Amino acid sequence: MRRCVVLALVVAAASGCNKPAPLSHNLNVENKVTMRTVSLYFESPDLLLAAERRSLPLPENPAGALDLVLRELIKGSANAAVPSLFPSDTAVRGAYLLPDGTAFVDLGGPTLTEGWTTGSHQELMAVYSVVQTVTANFPEVKRVRMLVNGEPAETLGGHISLRRAFTPVPSVVAR
Amino acid sequence: MKRLAPLLIVTVAVASMLFGQAPNQAILRTPAGDRVITIAKDAGQTLFAADEAMAGLGGSVSPDGTGFRATLNNVVAVFGPESRFAVVRDELIEMPSPPALVDGRPYVPWQFFQGFLGKAADQEVSWDPIGRVLQVRPAQHTVVGLQLSVANIQGISKVVATLSGPADYSIIKEQGAYTVRFKTPIKAPFTEQAYDDPYISKVKFSGNDLRLELKGPDIGADAYKLENPIRVVLDFRRVAAGSVPLPTVTGSRAVDAPGIRTIVLDPGHGGKEVGAIGRNGLLEKDATLILARRLADSLEAKLRTRVILTRTDDTVVPLDQRTAIANQYKADLFLSVHMNAAVVKGAHGSETYFLSLEASDELARKAAEVENASAKGNPPQSSDLKLILWDLAQQEYLNESSRFAQAVQEEMNRATGVQNRGVKQAPFKVLVGATMPAALVEVAFITNPDEEAKLKSDNFQKLMVDALTTAIERYKIDYETRIGVIRPPPATPPAPAAAANSNKRTGT
Repeated sequence: MRRCVVLALVVAAASGCNKPAPLSHNLNVENKVTMRTVSLYFESPDLLLAAERRSLPLPENPAGALDLVLRELIKGSANAAVPSLFPSDTAVRGAYLLPDGTAFVDLGGPTLTEGWTTGSHQELMAVYSVVQTVTANFPEVKRVRMLVNGEPAETLGGHISLRRAFTPVPSVVAR
Repeated sequence: MKRLAPLLIVTVAVASMLFGQAPNQAILRTPAGDRVITIAKDAGQTLFAADEAMAGLGGSVSPDGTGFRATLNNVVAVFGPESRFAVVRDELIEMPSPPALVDGRPYVPWQFFQGFLGKAADQEVSWDPIGRVLQVRPAQHTVVGLQLSVANIQGISKVVATLSGPADYSIIKEQGAYTVRFKTPIKAPFTEQAYDDPYISKVKFSGNDLRLELKGPDIGADAYKLENPIRVVLDFRRVAAGSVPLPTVTGSRAVDAPGIRTIVLDPGHGGKEVGAIGRNGLLEKDATLILARRLADSLEAKLRTRVILTRTDDTVVPLDQRTAIANQYKADLFLSVHMNAAVVKGAHGSETYFLSLEASDELARKAAEVENASAKGNPPQSSDLKLILWDLAQQEYLNESSRFAQAVQEEMNRATGVQNRGVKQAPFKVLVGATMPAALVEVAFITNPDEEAKLKSDNFQKLMVDALTTAIERYKIDYETRIGVIRPPPATPPAPAAAANSNKRTGT
């Protein structure tokens, strides 16, 4: 439903959705889309996360904007020389924000589903690229929990525990 | 009332046909009777008025910030209009769509009740969209078979309950007895049996309870769960009044003396979990096993230590089982051996990690909450208690783990001449729950072709093994000096004891 509403506004098609009026009273906020510059975090040659600025049309409601920003992150850097931290077939299945400031990021795709063969450093940077991107762009997000295919997973690739929420770690981010 | 229910459904259905509009009511059918609740439709999804349904179930719903909290039997579920997930303690209930707000009241998909009632009341929920009946009934569990073994090994009485299928359980500790209370019906192998064991006097099955009667009040247990097959394990040993495990008094074996006597080495990955892959095909799981085996031989030869490997061949060992093995053997030190990977070209050198956890205050507060709930007669869900205590386990050793990691990193840097990448902290799954100083070393970057080639060479492997042996020896001397065990390193290394070699095996 939300995707339909957002899409309708982006293409400025007023009659894009023929579904009955939604129940949420927050819809007026959710509907409003503006251009916003966000910071996406990728790994720099000095093995730290560095921000790349990108302008996107985003709903003003953070809950609606979360998954769109994460999809941009997973697409990778605009600079071909900056490598992707996640497997190329990674999908953002959704991102949700709880009232207490916990964002749930639900990832999927064949590699993460079948078993990602990676090492600690890459896995750690991948996890914190998500945590840093979400918390840097959405001040209402205090912590991030990551899911795989909608479910709590042990790890993404056998190293970093996803059992608890992540808070940003400044030491992995370039100053 | 039961006779009225079909009539009501027919009435609603007829009303629906007559007036041609979607009826906004459904039946909530519980063992206590039927009740009409309000429903709504959003994007093809039927949503139920949470407050009406929870009231019908004997619970309640109240606002909580911008979200809501549902309460039933003192169990709380937090949910909000923006999220498809409700949170019950630390577990998630997934719904096909987020709750919606109608006139400020939350409406939820029926899967919310399915998840919440399963956790809070052991009830099953189903939704019949034709008859418009939300049915709530006691959960029908399939009976789980149970086999029990009791054995005393190296001063520890190990009770293993092997289950034929998954079952939630909680462990209740009383004076002189432990009870494992299963939430799923179990098929007991016997009703009562006496044991000729130093700590266990009798085992009784009653209902879904497995009761272990002990031979004294000063016997305590570590409990943990293993997979494939599913096993609930309790290790009983004599404990002091403050519940601090004491060394068993079965002789003067070195492993019982204070100090670093038993070291568990954990070769990362294994089996189908290959870990990182080098550009020229070297697999992390193979490189870690080769190095860990050589390190085990080196430690046994140069230090007076028993060394146990979490795997000795190319097999899958679950991450929590690796720490469980270290805990099971009462290891004094745990080192997980890995090879690193990076997408950035040119990444090189060693890294050493120890565990990072949430702020200790918050963990302590959570543990206290659980204990308080328990004291008030509301036993917590076992998984919740386990999670918190598991996390606290390594917390106690973080200072030592940091010292150990520092020694490892310094020796690796000295050996390779690589810039100091420093000791780091990260929430490594394999370090969570270790009840001893624990670290994880990333020996080299397997994704760097130069380091990949080195990892295959005998010289480089020896260099790394020597560096790690020195690091462990340094930490051992440092630790034993600090705790007052005067045991300077022998001038000439003693020959490895035959017993030590025989102990070098996996814990399974």
